[in-house]
Amino acid sequence: MVLMPDSDGESLTPAGGTAIAERPVDEILAQTPWVTIVWDDPVNLMSYVTHVFVAYFHYTKSKAEKLMLQVHTTGKAIVSSGTREAMERDVTAMHEYGLWATLDKSDK
Amino acid sequence: MSARSLVQESGARSEFQLSEMCNAMKKFHRRRGMIVTQLSAYEVELLASLIMQLIELISDGEPNGFATESKADDPFDEIVKNLEGEPDEPGPLEDPVLRRLFPDAYPDDPAASADFRRFTERDLKAAKVAEARVVLNRLATTELGARDLKIPREEVESWLRTLTSVRLAVATRLGIKDAAAADELAALPDEDPRSFMVNVYDWLGFAQETLINAL
Repeated sequence: MVLMPDSDGESLTPAGGTAIAERPVDEILAQTPWVTIVWDDPVNLMSYVTHVFVAYFHYTKSKAEKLMLQVHTTGKAIVSSGTREAMERDVTAMHEYGLWATLDKSDK
Repeated sequence: MSARSLVQESGARSEFQLSEMCNAMKKFHRRRGMIVTQLSAYEVELLASLIMQLIELISDGEPNGFATESKADDPFDEIVKNLEGEPDEPGPLEDPVLRRLFPDAYPDDPAASADFRRFTERDLKAAKVAEARVVLNRLATTELGARDLKIPREEVESWLRTLTSVRLAVATRLGIKDAAAADELAALPDEDPRSFMVNVYDWLGFAQETLINAL
């Protein structure tokens, strides 16, 4: 989540305004208030979990592997964020693939 | 899908035959855009049997059993059909396999989970059954292993997802709740009655792994 303005002081916006570069945290959270969490399970192959993250979320193989390893070593990982409706879609898709996923508010 | 009924329905002849099967399973490989392997008659029968049991388990309690023919001519019929099939309040899933295939989306909110389930579970079940049928149809083209199994690219996801569903079902029946349980099963002596199912589970994992590697 890119919230901070560029550190060397250059404006990030074409018109020079700061409205986009320095968006209030509240507004950001309002747009991505929910997250999809994938939980580790003893059945699914690491190669399969990586494949799902690439096939469904279109993440690069590198990012997909990182997320998969996070699930594998810490027990879970946040794989996407957005509106509640979007997260329900993602959770449904994860269940189609046989992964164990839940959704939750992102501020928890 | 209990371990014993699986053995009876699959017509397993001996442990020896099964271990032969596991050692000899040919890896999937890519050939001219298709994912290909050769299965023995026994492997074809076993996989088909597992998938048919999965379909039965998922379809249990559905009035139409997710029939492939849908009379889409009259939209009113569709609405009536959906209303007849839709439970007011889907109860908690009794079978642990179904609980694993259709987990709660809101772990801390039973009401939200029930709502989510009411709107999504039926479609999810129908999708799994449809994909399982795709796999069965493709298996049938091998004529019990006489011909190569050639999976076209567009069917790969159905294969991966169906193999996953079957692996989850077998694992649940074996009581694989965590990594420790999985490790314990890996060390079973051959005489243990569960070792047949463990071999099947390993074979399914091998099939899925090589399928992914062939993509």
